[in-house]
Parts: sequence; C-alpha cells; structure tokens
Amino acid sequence: MRLGLFPGCNMPALRPDVEKAIRVSMAELGVELVDLEGYVCCPAFGTFPSCDEDGYLALSGWNMSIAEEKGVDLLIECGSCYSSLRTGRHHILGSDSTKARVNELLAIAGKKIDGKATPRHITDVMYHDIGCKTIRSSIRKSLEGLHAVVQYPCHTLFPSEIVGFDNPARPHVLRELVEALGAEVDSYSCEYMCCGGAGGFHATSAPQAEAFAKQKFDAIRTETKADLIVVSCITCLMYMDHVQVSLSKNGDTKYAYPVFDYNQLLALCMGFDPRQVASIADVPRDGVWKQMTSLDSAT
Amino acid sequence: MFNLSDAKPNLWKEVFESGELLHCFNCGSCISGCPASEAGEPLLIRNLARKVILGLEEELEEDDSPWACVTCSRCEEMCPMDVKPFELALAIRRWQCRIDDTRIPPVLPEFFGRGYTQSVEQKELRKSLGLDALPSLGTVPGLLEKFQAMLREVEIIKNNAYMFGGAA
Repeated sequence: MRLGLFPGCNMPALRPDVEKAIRVSMAELGVELVDLEGYVCCPAFGTFPSCDEDGYLALSGWNMSIAEEKGVDLLIECGSCYSSLRTGRHHILGSDSTKARVNELLAIAGKKIDGKATPRHITDVMYHDIGCKTIRSSIRKSLEGLHAVVQYPCHTLFPSEIVGFDNPARPHVLRELVEALGAEVDSYSCEYMCCGGAGGFHATSAPQAEAFAKQKFDAIRTETKADLIVVSCITCLMYMDHVQVSLSKNGDTKYAYPVFDYNQLLALCMGFDPRQVASIADVPRDGVWKQMTSLDSAT
Repeated sequence: MFNLSDAKPNLWKEVFESGELLHCFNCGSCISGCPASEAGEPLLIRNLARKVILGLEEELEEDDSPWACVTCSRCEEMCPMDVKPFELALAIRRWQCRIDDTRIPPVLPEFFGRGYTQSVEQKELRKSLGLDALPSLGTVPGLLEKFQAMLREVEIIKNNAYMFGGAA
C-alpha cells in the first residue's frame, strides 16, 4: 500500500515526534509513505474557509492535486486537516461549476484536480486496510495490564456523510486499535465528548473552554482506572496534554494523564526509541513505556 | 426587541444561499452538544439562523459568536432539517470578512507569505529525531511565487491587497 503523507502545520511545527512515529510504524506495517512536495496548510478552518470560499477550495485542490499526480491517496492524522480536505473534495466534486473555478485557479500554478485522490484518516487506514490482527502481530511490547481511555477526533465523525468511516453515535475504531496493543480501554460518561481544543473556543473563551475540558478529565478521574489517554489528532494531543497543566495550576485537583497519539504508542510497542517517537509532551510519559510488557521474553 | 421593518429580507441570499436554511424550525439540535455553546459569548447556531432568515443585518454584523466555533461539525450530524449549521457558521464568518476587513484573521497574511499558519521547517529538531527535511512549499523552486499568484486571484486578497504586501 502506497499513501501520500499529509503532515499539516501543527505536526511538523510543534510535534514532529508524531510524524516520526507515523513514518516508522507505517513502514513496519508495510505501508509506503511518499512525500507530497510543496503541500500547503489544509487550509485550516480559521483561515480561508472563514474568509473566502474560492480560496478555500483552491488550496484544498492544491493539496489533492499533488497526491493525484503521484497516484496516491492522502494519509492524514490531524482531525481538522482531514475534515477540511475531505469537505473541500466534497464541494469541489459536488458541482461542475465549482470544479471548473478551482481548476481555473489551479491552472495559474500549473496544477489541476480531477478528484482521484481521497483524503484518508490514519485510524481508518489502520483499522480497515491494515487491520487489528496485523497490528497485533507487529508488536514486540504489550500494554497488558494498563488501562487507557480514548479520545475520538470529532472531525473524523461528523458529518458522517462526508468524513465518516466509524459509527458517529458510538465510535469504536480507536478503541479496537488500542485494544490490539493489549491495553484495557475503559468506558466513561464523557467518552464521546469533544476535547474542545480546536477552532476558536479556547482562543475566544479560555476559562469556559477549560471548564469544559475539566468535565471530561473529572469523568476520567472518577469513572476509570486510566493510566493513559490515546488520541489520533494533533489538536486533541496537544490540547489534552497542555490543558492538564492549566487545570492543575488553576484548581485543587492535579491532573497528569500521559497523552499519546496512537501511532506513538504503536511505535513504542514495536520497540522504537521513545526519544525519537515520543519525546515532546507537557505531562511526562516515561512511566508508560516502563510498564510495557516485552513479548520477546514471553515466547 | 427587533424592529422587523428595518430588516433585510434577502439577507440570507448574501450570507448563505442555501434553500435548506429556510427549513430551520429552531429546534436547537445544533446547540445540544456544541462545545462553543458554552463560550464567553455563547455560539447558539439556531439564533444565528434566525438572524440570517429574518434579515437582522446589524445584529449579524456585530455578532462575534461564529468565531468561537470549534469546527467539530457535530451540529451538521444532528440537524434534522439538513440546514448545515457548521457551513452556516463559516458562511457568516465569510460575510463578516467581506463587509469588515478587521474581521479577516491575522493569520491570513502569514499563510499567504509562507503557505502555512506558522513556521513548519524545524530543521534542527527534525535532525535530532532522524527526520529528513520537510517537503514544504519553500523546497520546490518557484512554487511559493505560483502559490501567491493563484491566491492573488481570489476576492478576499484582491480586495484587501494592502494586507498581502500590495498583492494586486
């Protein structure tokens, strides 16, 4: 399987260790990742989609045209990038006049879009194309004995008609992927609640956004035995990690749940070096890999 | 109280020309589960739909709440009338940017200048993680210029060239 890695902005700018984890773990699973040279911002919803629709769709088309030229679909971890591109594609292909306008703009840069390349979320590819069985047999260390909770990226669930590959009301894909690594995934009342980290919520209303996040963390604290939180979206990752520092500073309760992108956890279970695949975080994560069980010695 | 005699009945066509918007019966499904409905200035999408449908232009112009949206799109899933509430929030943002350039997000000139919302190259950090250089826009000779030439043709940049290094 060959896919074009679409890194977005936040991953290379702030969490390139996640990019490293994706590159090494996907290679281990037999997926060839090709670069999309000259890719640009997805565009993020707070940029062109909020000011100019032509600009939005031209940039969306720009990124998909690079993948199309290489004959690959796009592999995306960031929820917003995935949703922006997927929705962009839906609009471009949804009307002949829109597609013509996008191609008119792209022609200025010598580019063109037919619609052959599809944006795919990384959990969709891992669950539906690779499969939990293959993932289970690729690991050398297990999370046996550890409890996890999962954070489903909203942008991969809604609107299901455009972005969907999981059950939008009762998602299970990320849960099963984490279970494949040996962890027990605990359910809790706020499991399907948004992290609140994307868009303008925290930027316009920091105290309210943190109170919103506190509901989720308090539910994790009181209803689960979680040792870690697993996400598959760069915004969920950075926000759920960092907001614990603010909540702990501003309130009476201390929160220190290690937060991992799924592929970071997978790469660690495959035996890759945490200094390369999981080196950047606010809440320390080394306790988790120290508790992993080696499957090599068990056999 | 709003005085509907001052309202602009065709405002919806300027903002969000979607016949579906008129099917909104104000049920509030778009608000239930919306994180930004808890924002400082709460995002209450059904109220925005009302403002657009009734043509309350001034109220809509001054409304900051669409900018609190987390973009999760849950409302699109929940809306029983297929009004596309998230698309509406974005459309209101665009309409506000068209009539008031101070609404244009400051990140837009940054995006125009480099292709990203922030500096993405991180050369030293990438090296320490064993990653090759990022295949970014700047690594393909001449591509940044083409990217900017394309964007100069879109309305928001054409009409606000002063923000984009005199783009036009």
